[in-house]
Amino acid sequence: MTEATQAGGGETAGALKFSADTFHRLTALMTLALLIVVFAFGNAAFLSVNNGLTVLLQTSVIGLLGIGMTMVIITGGIDLSVGSVLALSGVITGLSVKAGLPVIPAMMLGVVTGALCGAFNGFVITRMRITPFVATLGMMLIARGLALQLTGAAPVSGLGEPFGILGNGSLFRVVELRENGFPRVVFPGIPYPVILLVIVAAAAAYLLRRRQLGRHIYATGSNEEAARLAGVLVDRTKIMAYVMSGALAGLAGNVLMSRLVTAQPSEGVMYELDAIAAAVIGGASLMGGVGGISGTMIGAFIIGILRNGLNMAGVSAFIQQIVIGFVVIGAVWIDQLRNRN
Amino acid sequence: MTSPAPPLVEMIGIEKHFGGVHAVNGVSLKLFPGEIVGVLGHNGAGKSCLMRILSGAMLPTGGEIRIRGKTVSFDSPNDARDLGIETIYQTLALADHLDAPANLFLGREIKTRFGNLDDARMLSEARKVLATLNPNFRNLTDPVLSLSGGQRQVIAIARAIYFDVKVLIMDEPTAALGPSETAMVADLVRRLKAQGIGILLVSHDMHDVFELCDRVVVMNKGNLVGEHDIEDVTKDDILSLIIKGELPLDWTPRSAEMAQ
Ligand SMILES: Nc1ncnc2c1ncn2[C@@H]1O[C@H](COP(=O)(O)OP(=O)(O)OP(=O)(O)O)[C@@H](O)[C@H]1O
Ligand SMILES: [Mg+2]
Repeated sequence: MTEATQAGGGETAGALKFSADTFHRLTALMTLALLIVVFAFGNAAFLSVNNGLTVLLQTSVIGLLGIGMTMVIITGGIDLSVGSVLALSGVITGLSVKAGLPVIPAMMLGVVTGALCGAFNGFVITRMRITPFVATLGMMLIARGLALQLTGAAPVSGLGEPFGILGNGSLFRVVELRENGFPRVVFPGIPYPVILLVIVAAAAAYLLRRRQLGRHIYATGSNEEAARLAGVLVDRTKIMAYVMSGALAGLAGNVLMSRLVTAQPSEGVMYELDAIAAAVIGGASLMGGVGGISGTMIGAFIIGILRNGLNMAGVSAFIQQIVIGFVVIGAVWIDQLRNRN
Repeated sequence: MTSPAPPLVEMIGIEKHFGGVHAVNGVSLKLFPGEIVGVLGHNGAGKSCLMRILSGAMLPTGGEIRIRGKTVSFDSPNDARDLGIETIYQTLALADHLDAPANLFLGREIKTRFGNLDDARMLSEARKVLATLNPNFRNLTDPVLSLSGGQRQVIAIARAIYFDVKVLIMDEPTAALGPSETAMVADLVRRLKAQGIGILLVSHDMHDVFELCDRVVVMNKGNLVGEHDIEDVTKDDILSLIIKGELPLDWTPRSAEMAQ
C-alpha cells in the first residue's frame, strides 16, 4: 500500500503517487547521508565504531518514544505525555528495585505503569471526548508530578549493578586480556538498547502493515467517521495506540534510567518534542492517516546524528536546539511541497 | 404490489431530532424481499437521516425497527450489518489514505491462518468485484484519495454488495457516475432484486426511479408525505409531493384510471 510498485502503466495518478510516496523518505535518507558525510569530514572520530554505537545508544530512547508517537499520530492524535511517563515509569521501576523487587519484574512494573498512563489517556480522549492535545497535556503534568512526589524530587540511586545491565550491557562484546594485565576491548558489542530498538521497530512495523489493528489505526486517522461506519471499533483502536505509546515510553524510561543506574524523576523533559519531531521528519502527518516506522527511524537518527555531530564539533546545546527546530520546519515544509504536487 | 411474505424491514414512527430540528418526524415504511423502494424528497428532507438510522450509523430519538417481524435496536453499524443490512452512504465513507481493497474489506479484513492481513487475497477479490461494476478499474493499489469521484463511488458500491446482503440501502449511489457505470449499477440493482434482496434507493434522478422502483415514498421536511406504487403516479405527481408536500388536487391513482 505504501510503494506504488505496479502503478498502472503510464497513468498519471500512479506515476505521481510513486514519486510523492517515496520522495519524502528519499529526502530524509539523503539528509541523513549528507549529515554523516559532513560530520565525518569535520571530525575523523565521528565515523569510528565507538561513536557509531554511541549514536545508536542515544537514538534508542528517541526511537522507542518515536515508534509509539507514530502510532498515535497516525490515528490523528498526539501524545504530549511520553517524556513525563518515561520519568514516572523509571521512578516506579527504581523504587520497586529499592523495595526489594528483582530487576526484571520491577522493569515490567515500570512498563505496565506506562501502559496504564496510556490507557488513561485513551480513556479521557475516547470516553470523555477531550482532545488528545489537552488530555495528554494533562497526563504530562500528572505523571511528572507523580514522579516528583514519589521521590521527593530526589534521584533514586544505589540501585545495584543488575539494574544497569539493560542500559549499559551489550551483546557479542569481545574483550581480551593483554599481557600487561589490562583488558582490551576488541569489539564493544551491540548495546542492549539498540537490540531492543530493532526488535520493537520490527514488531511495530509488522503490527502496522500486516495486522488488522494496524490497518484500523490508519483507517481511524484517515477518516474516523468512515472507519466507524465500516465497523472499525474506533475508540478501542485509539486506546490501543495510546497504551502502546505509554508502554513504549515506560520501556524507554527503563532504558534511560538503567543507563544512568539512577532513577531520575526530572529526566525526559521535552522528550515528547523529539519524538514528535522524529515522526514528522519521517513523514508522519499530524492530520492522521499517514506515517510509518521506517520513516520515524530515519527521523530519530537524523536528530540523534545532528546532536552527536554538533556535540563533537563543539556546538553548544542551545545552538543544537535552534538547528533541530529548523530541521523540523524544513521537513514539514518539504512534506507540504510534496502534497501540493 | 403487496407480497405475502413478512416485511423484511419495518420502520415504525421513526423520530430524529437535533435540538429543535425535526430531521425525521414519525416516519414509517416497509420493505419486502425483492422490492425496490425509492426514497425521495428535497435536499434536507431527512432521507439520509432515515437511512442512517436503519444502517445503525445514527441512533433514532424514537420509533421502532423490525427486521422480519423482530424488533431490533442498532447501537452500531456492525449490529445492522450482522443482520445483512448493507449501506452505500451518500458521503461514500472511504478512508482516503487506504487503497481500494483495504477500503472494501475495512472492518472485515481477510486474514491468513496466522491472523495476518491477507492483502494478496483481498486484492484479487477486490479486482473481481470491482470488474463487475467498472471493467476499466485498474489503479487498485493507489490510495482512494487519488481516484476519481466515480471510482470512489464504485468502491463504496462494491463494499456493500460483496458481503452477504439482505437489505441494501443506496443513498444516491449514482450521483458521480457516468452513463455506462450508471447503467451497470441499474443492472446490478435488478440482479439483486431478482435474488430477493430488498433495496432502498435514495435518488434525485426521476429517470432511475421510474426505471427501477416498485414503490416510492416521499419525504418533505422530515415528514412522510406520500407512499405509492410506481404505477399510480407520474413524474409530475412526485414532483408535487417533493416540492409542495401534497399531490395535485385532481389526483387519482393512475393505474385505477387506466383500468377504467
Ligand atoms: N448530524 C447532524 N446534526 C445536526 N443536524 C443534522 C445532522 N444531520 C442532518 N441534520 C439535519 O437534518 C435534516 C435532514 O438531513 P438529511 O441529510 O437527512 O437530508 P437529505 O434528505 O438526505 O438531503 P440531501 O438530498 O441533500 O441528501 C437537515 O436539516 C440537516 O441539517
Ligand atoms: Mg442525503
